[in-house]
Amino acid sequence: MAFYLPVGPQHPIHPEAILLKFKVEGEQVVDVDIDASYVHRGIEKALEYKTYTQGLYLIERICGICNVAHSTCYVINIEELIGKEAPPRAQYLRLILEELARIHSHLLWLGLAAHLIGFESLFMLIFRDRELVMDLIEAMTGNRVVTAYNVIGGVRRDLDDALAHKIREALERVRERTRYYRKVLMEDPTVRARTVDVGYLSTSEARELLAVGPVARASNVKYDVRADDPYIAHDEVPFNVVVYDTCDVWGRVMVRVDEVLEAIDMILYALDHMPSGDFRIKVPPIFRAPPGENVARVEAPRGELLHYVRSDGSDKPYRYKVRTPTLANLMATMQMLKSRGDRVVYVADIPIIFGSIDPCICCTARVLIVDERGRVIETTTDELARMKRW
Amino acid sequence: MWWKEVLEALLYPGVLYLSLIALLFEWIDRKLVARLQNRVGPYYAGPHGILQPLADFLKLLSKEDIVPEGTDRLLFAACPVLALVITLTAAAFLPLAAPRGLVSFDGDLVVVVSLLTLYALIVYASGIAPPSRYSLIGAERAVLMLIGFEIPLMLSCLSVALAAGSLRISDIVARQVERWYVLGPHAVAFIIYLIASQAELERVPFDIPEAETEIVAGWQVEYASWRLALFRLSRDVEMVLLSGLAAALFLGGPLGPAPPSLGWLLPPIYFLLKSAFVLALLSVLRASFARIRVDQFIAFCWRYLIPASLAYLLAVVWVM
Repeated sequence: MAFYLPVGPQHPIHPEAILLKFKVEGEQVVDVDIDASYVHRGIEKALEYKTYTQGLYLIERICGICNVAHSTCYVINIEELIGKEAPPRAQYLRLILEELARIHSHLLWLGLAAHLIGFESLFMLIFRDRELVMDLIEAMTGNRVVTAYNVIGGVRRDLDDALAHKIREALERVRERTRYYRKVLMEDPTVRARTVDVGYLSTSEARELLAVGPVARASNVKYDVRADDPYIAHDEVPFNVVVYDTCDVWGRVMVRVDEVLEAIDMILYALDHMPSGDFRIKVPPIFRAPPGENVARVEAPRGELLHYVRSDGSDKPYRYKVRTPTLANLMATMQMLKSRGDRVVYVADIPIIFGSIDPCICCTARVLIVDERGRVIETTTDELARMKRW
Repeated sequence: MWWKEVLEALLYPGVLYLSLIALLFEWIDRKLVARLQNRVGPYYAGPHGILQPLADFLKLLSKEDIVPEGTDRLLFAACPVLALVITLTAAAFLPLAAPRGLVSFDGDLVVVVSLLTLYALIVYASGIAPPSRYSLIGAERAVLMLIGFEIPLMLSCLSVALAAGSLRISDIVARQVERWYVLGPHAVAFIIYLIASQAELERVPFDIPEAETEIVAGWQVEYASWRLALFRLSRDVEMVLLSGLAAALFLGGPLGPAPPSLGWLLPPIYFLLKSAFVLALLSVLRASFARIRVDQFIAFCWRYLIPASLAYLLAVVWVM
């Protein structure tokens, strides 16, 4: 008595367009296929027609929530390509903004996770406290969401003592609230009932399917770009890579809560040890990059984000490629969403399991395969898996 | 006088009064939960948004009526009406305005409880009427839930009835003057009743049949316009019914200290205050938990709730 249950492309689980095709028997999920190719915005192609400076403004608009990660990755990539380096103070400022964005992204996700399991009160309260961080981001950069803070050669604004004081004060409050939410998420019986042993992804599966970010770290894979391949000031600012070995949704929740606390410590450390000096070097608005190619990686809130650029010596990239963490995690998600052995996945678990990778679909779909007669071929998840290793 | 009875049934304390109280209760619930969640809640329609439920109801009536292809049209039209009729009928047994309800006879408690069961079956029928997978899953869940919450709901009512020695709501109310004070010794049955009625009302943590993030709106996903308006009104009336029944069975209903000159005015107010108190408890419950899964709910009912209600019933029998 199995039937197909379409979740998406329009569904309250997720405001973005993605189709999860479930085969269900009663309340139990038997099989799943994911079609992520509803939103193709052609950003990579558009980047080939923009100068490197113009590309920065486009790249920030790939995703609203991780725009800081995208712009950080882009500027590192281009700076390495043209052989220039931002001054140390700029690296620290980038780190502070990156970690602020991580806090805001993780708090947003925690609220959404509470919403997905029907805990509306927690959702509302977490979103209230997230505003503190949003205000800090606005005070630091001038914008709430798309910050436009990173530029090639440094950052756009300096940070003065008054603002540093404000950040310290607000973060103490955020820390106190986050510790409270950590207690709630650890102890509340209904939250535990919905997350413990749900969405299982074993350590070996996480390695095989190349899961990244909090999904991998909740499956006991100690992998964090900030620690393994430090960029900006991450080799100078100490932090712990948060790892849980529960391999379930609960672990992913706790990884994110603990990363918020780690990020607060990192920002406070960076504020105390901020080097003096310039916060940017002058780079002309239009410049030619030497021919060559480069890859940059950053740890976005959702996981490892990878940018690739190839230059043919002109003032525009010959090819720009973005691999977002959601794409890397889709294969692991499919494993989590299937009932395997006595680990049954119920229809009721679909939202929180799918939500546990913190999906961002608009970043993900950028592939459309057209055959020689111009017919669009449907991209299957197997093909996506092969593309992932491009 | 026959016209007096008709007026009573239609206006006070009948259909009109019940509907208004139902909308008021929806407002109390929404406002309270909103404040608990650090939100403002209904605000613009009327003072502090008190008219918002009415505005929602009227607006739904003006919406386009959509009937999906392949729908069982008879069920699709009958279910919203039946849902409202059933809840209104059951609420007519409540001692809203006087120690006796609008209708009252020996064994009316059994009728009320079985009407509640009937309501769950209407929910199932409305879920299978349209050809939607989400509503089908919602309907399945509604029936599964019934297996869990119905027995404790009935047993908790029954233990009070046993203690009072009558299955008639007005008798149970009357016995509370002599036997126990407000709430009295039946706190255990009251708690079991509260949990079971939260499930009957499909509210967090038991809003499993209409779980928004899982199956959109569950069994009511395909209903729009007047059908949805009637469903929502019937849900509100059910809220009055369940909190009112709790007020009648556990909190002494319309009884309370009253000078003889105000004897006609105070009972309805006492009843409303007591039901609103029960409603507030239900709202706090709604704001404090995450939604659990249907299998977890059934396990919870059969492991804890049903044994507890059985044990309590036996204890009442033992003491009597």
